[in-house]
Amino acid sequence: MATAQHPSTPSVRTGVQPLRAGQGTSFLWRKLHSLLGIIPIGAFLIEHLLSNYEALKGPAAYGAQVRFLNSLPLVRVLEWVFIFLPILYHGLYGLYIWMRGKSNLVYYPWAGNWMYTAQRYTGLIAILYIGQHVLRQRFMGISLPENPGAAFAKVQHELANPWMLAVYIIAMIAICWHFAYGIWLFAAKWGITPGAAARKRFGYVCAALGFALAVMGLVSIWAFVGPKYKNTPDIVPLAAVAVTASPVLSAPPAAVISAAV
Amino acid sequence: MANKTIALEIKRQSSPDAPAVWEKFELPWRPGMNVISAMMEIAANPVTADGQPTTPITYDSNCLEEICGSCAMRINGKARMACSALIDNLEQPIRIEPLSKFPLVRDLQVDRSVLFENLKRVKAWVPIDGTYDLGSGPRIFPQVQEVNYPLSNCISCTCCMEVCPQFNEDTGFVGAATIAQVKLFNNNPTGKVFKEERLRALAGDGGVQECGYAQNCVEACPKQIPLTNAISDVSRDVLIQKAKDFLRG
Ligand code: HEM
Ligand code: SF4
Ligand code: SF4
Ligand code: FES
Repeated sequence: MATAQHPSTPSVRTGVQPLRAGQGTSFLWRKLHSLLGIIPIGAFLIEHLLSNYEALKGPAAYGAQVRFLNSLPLVRVLEWVFIFLPILYHGLYGLYIWMRGKSNLVYYPWAGNWMYTAQRYTGLIAILYIGQHVLRQRFMGISLPENPGAAFAKVQHELANPWMLAVYIIAMIAICWHFAYGIWLFAAKWGITPGAAARKRFGYVCAALGFALAVMGLVSIWAFVGPKYKNTPDIVPLAAVAVTASPVLSAPPAAVISAAV
Repeated sequence: MANKTIALEIKRQSSPDAPAVWEKFELPWRPGMNVISAMMEIAANPVTADGQPTTPITYDSNCLEEICGSCAMRINGKARMACSALIDNLEQPIRIEPLSKFPLVRDLQVDRSVLFENLKRVKAWVPIDGTYDLGSGPRIFPQVQEVNYPLSNCISCTCCMEVCPQFNEDTGFVGAATIAQVKLFNNNPTGKVFKEERLRALAGDGGVQECGYAQNCVEACPKQIPLTNAISDVSRDVLIQKAKDFLRG
């Protein structure tokens, strides 16, 4: 007598569908998202925070750093290929990943689940912040590639608004958190830390890095809003910096600045 | 002591399309009770707490010693094995619901065949069928046995899939159990013959890349299988396989 159904007949009709073995391209897109988070986006984040740290040396040094970056060969191509497009892809695909996850933190409030959720909210903060930051600092107002000397004052005016200052501080912490846990996730998901002990140890490394980056970022913010460089002129002449290396020409930068004002 | 009772609230549904209702039960306490034994008592006397006659509860169970994998359900919100859920360790009233990610059959019984289907799609077996005696297999070194044994403890309960935020209808994610079995069978000297096929299968849509490393699976697994280690290892192997395939054209 025949059985009602052959045992090898696929029995899954509703609910979560089985693996589409070997089919589709989502593996590639997902791994690209993951990789871009480290290189170039993460690498750029570190570069950006190091550059901002120059602000502690004053408006002229900061302007000189902006000028140096804009003097890189093919800088406009670099900017699009290694910064804007990767962030746009990682951000939008990140939102897509988020939409497809089904959060269950209320039932399973475990550490890893918290971090999984935090990675999504910090990513959201990052994309909103980066959107306005690039628009307002790169594409609106005085053009910094053409006037690197205006960089310090432009940021200073932005941060003079206490709401903006709050936005920058929150975003700084959120993005450093996202990047730090992102490195940890990357190592776990690419099989670099397959052991539980290795993941734990690497967790401390990532936390230390994230903390250091966030502190560096916050200290740089302080350089713009603190008393030291109050009321920086809109455009600082950068020749003053080029000469600091030469003892013969080391005219006091303050004099040059007041001359410029 | 003699009159001590326990309170249960069970979510019931008479068919996949019927509306879900909660029924309350009150049972005399006994030492060493677990959720399955409580439901056996309900079956012996199917009356709700307010005295209404009802039907026995439908659920899957078999071994009653956390080894067959059939009795997974949500107890006080968390997916776990009902037969090892001791009443004395649970907050009352104990709320019992079916797993939420699998098609419901009736009451607490769900259709978990997606796991079986996934295991077939990654060829989670050692191919030894033939028309003649193949003789004894190759030696498995103790070091390899140490790695494989925990993975072989999987009881296909699907708890790891139920608790996974990535396992849902949108992603069609394969889930941690299947990934761990790929590691197990790729580690077997005879099972290795399918290694490349298994890895390629896991790079398909719904494959290992969908894991967001929330690590709920490893928290929930009743057999303490090192699932996150397996996901990490298998992810790397899949990536290397894809890279090799790409370069070999
Ligand atoms: C400063 C910018 C950013 C940096 C440096 C960054 C970096 C990273 C890194 C390194 C990862 C780990 C990759 C992995 O999961 O394997 C990651 C993951 C993730 N990122 Fe970003 N990211 C940034 C912006 C964003 C934005 C704007 C979003 C959009 C919401 C986002 C959403 C996500 C999500 C959802 C994940 C987790 C992916 C998963 O669990 O599989 N990120 N990010
Ligand atoms: S680590 Fe998290 S996302 Fe990955 S399989 Fe386990 S529960 Fe799911
Ligand atoms: S890996 Fe653990 S939780 Fe998942 S099916 Fe196997 S025994 Fe159950
Ligand atoms: S009845 Fe077998 S695992 Fe619970």
